[in-house]
Amino acid sequence: MKVLIVEDNKELASGISDYLNGEKYICELAYTFEVAREKLSLFTYDCILLDIMLPDGNGLELLKYIRQENINSGILIISAKDALDDKVNGLEGGADDYVTKPFHLPELHARLRAIYRRKTLEGNNLVVFNEIVLNTDTVEATVNNALLDVTRKEFDLLLYFVVNKNRVLSRQSIAAHLWGDYTDNLANFDFVYQHVKNLRKKISAVEGIDYIETVYGLGYKFNTSKT
Amino acid sequence: MKLINKITIWFIGIVFLITPVTMFISRNNIKKHLDEAEVTRMKEVNDRVAQQLMAGEKPDRYTHGRPIAISLLPGALPDQRVTVVKDNYVAEDLGRKECRISVDSYYEVGAQHYKISSYNYVIKSEEIFRGMLSTVVWKMLLMIVAVAVTARLLSGKIFSPLRRTMKAIHSFDLKQKNKIQLPQTSTTEFKELNVFLSKMTDKAMEDYAAVKEFSENASHELQTPLAVIRSKIELLSETNIDGVQAALIGDMQNAIEKLSHINRSLILLTKLENQEFKATESLKFCRVTKDVIATYEDWIAMREINLSTSLDKTIPLTIHPALAEMLISNLLSNAIRHNHDGGQINVLLTSREFCISNTGLPPQGPTCELFQRFKKSNQSNDSIGLGLAIVKQICEVNNFAIDYTYADGWHRIHVNFYKNDQSVINSTGSLTTEEMLLA
Repeated sequence: MKVLIVEDNKELASGISDYLNGEKYICELAYTFEVAREKLSLFTYDCILLDIMLPDGNGLELLKYIRQENINSGILIISAKDALDDKVNGLEGGADDYVTKPFHLPELHARLRAIYRRKTLEGNNLVVFNEIVLNTDTVEATVNNALLDVTRKEFDLLLYFVVNKNRVLSRQSIAAHLWGDYTDNLANFDFVYQHVKNLRKKISAVEGIDYIETVYGLGYKFNTSKT
Repeated sequence: MKLINKITIWFIGIVFLITPVTMFISRNNIKKHLDEAEVTRMKEVNDRVAQQLMAGEKPDRYTHGRPIAISLLPGALPDQRVTVVKDNYVAEDLGRKECRISVDSYYEVGAQHYKISSYNYVIKSEEIFRGMLSTVVWKMLLMIVAVAVTARLLSGKIFSPLRRTMKAIHSFDLKQKNKIQLPQTSTTEFKELNVFLSKMTDKAMEDYAAVKEFSENASHELQTPLAVIRSKIELLSETNIDGVQAALIGDMQNAIEKLSHINRSLILLTKLENQEFKATESLKFCRVTKDVIATYEDWIAMREINLSTSLDKTIPLTIHPALAEMLISNLLSNAIRHNHDGGQINVLLTSREFCISNTGLPPQGPTCELFQRFKKSNQSNDSIGLGLAIVKQICEVNNFAIDYTYADGWHRIHVNFYKNDQSVINSTGSLTTEEMLLA
């Protein structure tokens, strides 16, 4: 996947690109509105990460430009402004999704993948890893063709793990992914442990490989090297 | 009271006050002029008689039938050739008051001195007054009617700029970026008012924009470094680290989580204060309550808390959907967090109020203080102490009344949707919640 990161903060942009490079994505960086427009006119990208506030322009203007030029890339807006009208403007302006700073990198990646699935791999709503098959349309998960009896939250959790495989996922990032805006009100992340435990139990019940491991002090990891 | 009615009443009052005074003045004037005219006439009559005497004619024919008396005056002529005497007395034969004017003139005819006196009865001031009274009553009635009618007709015209100005102020919204449109007027006072109003609203809009911009910029400026730290720590946790480093990173992640939560909450409070959440249409509050409860079911189950709900159906409320969700979410999460494992939570929703009560440790201080920012009942707690401040602010924005009480091991929070009849809560609400649920 080829991604254009339009973000004026260089550290953040490099952080995102480091993470996405780990997924073997090709990332290009644009720190200003003008550079972004130039790159968009010359190259095509599968996805664009777009910051709303840029030193020489507004990201929403760039969105307008993208639409005018009929550029068919998935667009994920990153913004510190979670003002509702900004959100609405962005999505009405043709963006596919919206994340607010400070986001978790695995979350950003999961959303990017979701956009990519919808936009580029049209009709293909299956996420497959070895014997695990996740159908994002019907919210059904199978392991070795055996249907996994999971709740919506457990399905989302498994999908999050598969998309961010071999990454350390902190409890906070998992909570933010599963509970969204409600995370702020959760005093601790014990129930993340509860959900992970249940999911592992359910996978073991159908004799699937337990890829999920605990990373001491940090969170969890979907380790693909396990057999 | 309407301005025009006030003016009318004052005007009529002044008319009532002035009329007796003018009546008194005109009565005196009329009386004076009538008397003077009578005196002059009688003087002339006396002169005429004297002339006849001087001419040697007998004045009998002239004086016949007139109240004139001619008498010889012994001694010298008095200094004053003419004396006027006004007599007010009660005529005994008629039994009424009379007013008589007599004029005495002194003449020297030949060697003899004569005194010629005339007298006449004139109109009394009471009679003039009576005559004036009915006129004045009619005059005043006509004036009052005329003032009342014209004031009403004119006020429509004169005050129309003021009314339009007030309408403009009423519909003015700080959040909408269009300037206030005030009507043109030729009245100086209204012109001044309009100039003042447009200046004031322009200033308010500028200030509002500045505050809004600051809070947004502040949020942006803080959120970006936070995003940098968070992403770098996430990348750091991917590297080869040992257990000690992992624990350190874990602590940092917790701190960042808290920091970003505080930042978000403060921005939210600023936005609430700026009244940025405008409710445009009513939503089903019961629906929102159910959704929020569903979201927290996992957590409630994990803490083995028993939740009993009594939710009335179809409760429409005009509130911004995000705020409704936040209100319930904050209250419910508080009730879970400050509960003990295996505790109890009761949620009651009626068309008048939302009431949530939970078991838990007694608060370490007055409950009303817990609505203040960064106030926590238990300082070592994980919460940041902004949840109830947000709840309070949401209630204020939406004109809800909220109160928090603690009694017999129960924390109770009431949100009354209709602030004005708070008495309902205090008298009946607090004791019925548990009874209704446990019944």
